[in-house]
Amino acid sequence: MSLPPSLRTSATPTELELIASQQLIEIIPLIAMEKTAFISGAYGPLRPPHRAKVPIWMAVNLKLKKKCHIMAPYWLNTEFLQARLNEETTESGFSRLPFRFSEVSKVLLDVAPDDIPDADKLRYILKDLREARQAKSREGLANLDRGEFSLPNFCSMEINEVRPFFIRSMAILQQLYREPGET
Amino acid sequence: MAPPPHELEDEETPLQKLMRHWMNERHAPDILPAQEELLASLLDHIRRQSEAVQLLRGEPSTSEEDHIRIMLVQTEVERVKFIVRSYVRTRLFKIEKFARFIMTNPEIQARITTAERAHASRHANLTDKHFHFSVLQSLPETQSHLDDTPIFMPPMVTQPDESVPVFVHALRECGPINFPDGSSLNMTPGYISLMPFASAKALLNRGDVELV
Repeated sequence: MSLPPSLRTSATPTELELIASQQLIEIIPLIAMEKTAFISGAYGPLRPPHRAKVPIWMAVNLKLKKKCHIMAPYWLNTEFLQARLNEETTESGFSRLPFRFSEVSKVLLDVAPDDIPDADKLRYILKDLREARQAKSREGLANLDRGEFSLPNFCSMEINEVRPFFIRSMAILQQLYREPGET
Repeated sequence: MAPPPHELEDEETPLQKLMRHWMNERHAPDILPAQEELLASLLDHIRRQSEAVQLLRGEPSTSEEDHIRIMLVQTEVERVKFIVRSYVRTRLFKIEKFARFIMTNPEIQARITTAERAHASRHANLTDKHFHFSVLQSLPETQSHLDDTPIFMPPMVTQPDESVPVFVHALRECGPINFPDGSSLNMTPGYISLMPFASAKALLNRGDVELV
């Protein structure tokens, strides 16, 4: 078939990583490169030790060849995430995080744990954050109705996780409802 | 001078556009309007980048720096190819699924490319013929149709179901959106909501929202 059944209902986490990897990130290059035209735009010039902005996929590629150091984005540090976690556990709504924080943090922590300060502690906080938010989305499911359901500050990976269940639930609620006179 | 970050995000590159349309297509129950020009320009870009790589490779004295450059350009070409392929395949899947419906509906025909129309027509004909020769010809006349619309039963021709809920991510200020049950909603950029595809369709076609 043109589209395998596993891809029909949702995107896969790797596809979401591919999308997130198009975001720009700062690196400290260890090699020089002239400004080069890519399909997504022109990047460079790379002049060590000056910082440069490149897409995450490029940073990952260079990092795996030990040709750059990756600078963590402004939100990927213990202070910022710990503050969000505190918010998450004390307040009712979802705390405000970058839309693709889950994908980006996974990619960066996998490839460049040596460039990111407190990488191990960050992993713990991210895991706690994930669990706190998951619990909230499960509770939120009780408020689902057939018309519209707002999820402020819900993130890309979380949407993907709950998609099949939420969509199916809403479809059932729609079926249960009948316009007066439609019977 | 570099523009401030929020302006950078406003300006979508052709690749970002395609990625947005790719995900929209993946999540939408219906076939969305074809993006022929965008696709053509990206395919053209892929071809030019590949040619440039071939040219660079031909040069005898490639430094380490050039090697890495070539490798990065090739990596990107593969990424874009993957997205293009996945996008086209998603459309193909829907076209085969709704082939019979497409042939009877001029509105949906206007949304797809000539090649996609031709494929839908061939696919519908082939399956019709196959069903006819394998089963239908030996059934009584009243049972040998593929497009019956019996009461209390879903129609035999598969149609896109617009009531399927989708996750909507607002890109611009939009609203108020009116829902069939009388409620309405205003969305600010970044707003996330789960709503039936029928309610999100107009916003999606205007590019005010994306599906996530």
